[in-house]
Amino acid sequence: IGKKVQAIYLWWHKPVINKELLQSLPNLKVIANSGVGMDHLDLKLVASFGVKMANAPHAVSSSTADTGMALLLASARRLVEVHNISISPSMEKYCEVDILGVKVTGATLGIIGMGSIGYKIALRAKAFEMNILYHNRTRRKVQEEQAVGATYCKKIDSLLQQADFVMLVVSLTPQTHKLIGKRELELMKPTATLINISRGAVVDQEALLTALQTGVIRAAALDVTSPEPLPRDHPLLKLKNVIITPHLGIKTDKATYMITEEAVENILAALNGLPLPSEVLPS
Amino acid sequence: MWYHRPAINEELLQSLPNLKVVASSGVGIDHLDLKLISSYGVKVSYTPFAVSTDTADMGMALLLASARRLVEGHEMAVSPDTEYFPADWLGVEVSGATLGILGMGTIGYKVAERAKAFEMKILYHNRNQRKKEEESAVGAVYCKKIDDLLQQSDFVLLAVTLTPQTHKLIGKRELELMKPTATLINISRGLVVDQDALVEALQNKVIKAAALDVTYPEPLPRDHPLLKLKNVIITPHIGSATKKTRWVMMAEMAESIEAGLAGLPVPREVL
Repeated sequence: IGKKVQAIYLWWHKPVINKELLQSLPNLKVIANSGVGMDHLDLKLVASFGVKMANAPHAVSSSTADTGMALLLASARRLVEVHNISISPSMEKYCEVDILGVKVTGATLGIIGMGSIGYKIALRAKAFEMNILYHNRTRRKVQEEQAVGATYCKKIDSLLQQADFVMLVVSLTPQTHKLIGKRELELMKPTATLINISRGAVVDQEALLTALQTGVIRAAALDVTSPEPLPRDHPLLKLKNVIITPHLGIKTDKATYMITEEAVENILAALNGLPLPSEVLPS
Repeated sequence: MWYHRPAINEELLQSLPNLKVVASSGVGIDHLDLKLISSYGVKVSYTPFAVSTDTADMGMALLLASARRLVEGHEMAVSPDTEYFPADWLGVEVSGATLGILGMGTIGYKVAERAKAFEMKILYHNRNQRKKEEESAVGAVYCKKIDDLLQQSDFVLLAVTLTPQTHKLIGKRELELMKPTATLINISRGLVVDQDALVEALQNKVIKAAALDVTYPEPLPRDHPLLKLKNVIITPHIGSATKKTRWVMMAEMAESIEAGLAGLPVPREVL
């Protein structure tokens, strides 16, 4: 069977692409990934076998941006906490003051990573009259900044110190690994919220835990963790000021369909010896 | 007064001969018998604009949380029984979907402004049609007949005031007109919805889900079926519950009271 396989459509990091697998599939021409992140692939290794790789960058951006906003709003307004109070079998007496949330309209949002997804978040946040700061490897064009009213922060510190909401939208690379650690969390406001829709490894998880437990930051909303899922006894699961979602960034009916379409396009191109629409090369 | 307490009835009014002003929190005045209060020479004020952006934000928060199954997702992520995240667990796409807004007042319009940024297609139904420029600014299409809105919407958001005309505005008939894939979001008043009809519609998959910041009564009795449905998010009427906004509301109410006591025109008086 191994000799018949020419293409792999990678769904949710499975199958694991290692040397063994690549050696057993001599006619493999292409691996198409379901999503945009490629950090789970050894790009150099795959390329060394003459296999092309592609991701699905266009299908994911809106859905992931929507997830970022959903988490921002849910955390700010304490949605999960208060829903649980609303449906609790015992009529828990709560003090109104204890369930007050944080105002989103007019607050400052700091976007770390202003690629397609980050930019779509800025477009959405602008409609909430948010003040938008961003930090990115490269600065965006002036017109792009103006369209969303975003201010570039060359130094990440400047963004961290001013933002009420910090949203992580970077790809995971050696440079962004543990980008947010003790130092960065301490630069954030004690009233600030961290939202992560990038990769768990972008955050120093132990440092985050400490920061949340000691009030260094107000709250966190995480669609991604290290690992996924977290061990069932992990302290992050028990904190009232943390929302965790099961990496649902692109998990919608529409996005799944579009991702599959993109993957198929790439696979067909590879099999026909044509240029791939979204090829990913080892850097 | 805060959250409809104390109840302003004949008994109370008779026992307070020197009462000059009732300052009510929020924009809803359905809990006040305005004629009765006026007959005692008492002025009434409210805080109509302070709540608008937070309530619109809440509407979007509920829409997104429901569509993307945030509450269910969180439960899965923290549950002691979870071993892995299933690959076929999906929510519904918000970007590009159709939002039908019932009640395009200040709050409804602010919801439209936010929804537009999500590239949502916006339909609205209102007592009166908005000006063309207002419609164009948010890309909203007027539906003179509520049925048209209900039949086309992926998300139906209620942002009306509670009046005799909007009481049970959404009942069995309206729910059946909605798509079976549609979600109902209520940030207006519990009584705008026929709650029993809603329970049935949710149980029988006539509509997909509901997200309610308001119910009748608040809170619901602990054995109410709505509390047990997986496709329902309920929040305890927190539309305006942020520190900043509550502060502004308090300041506005104090201002109205001071004016009332000084015999001056009352800011934000309800006439």
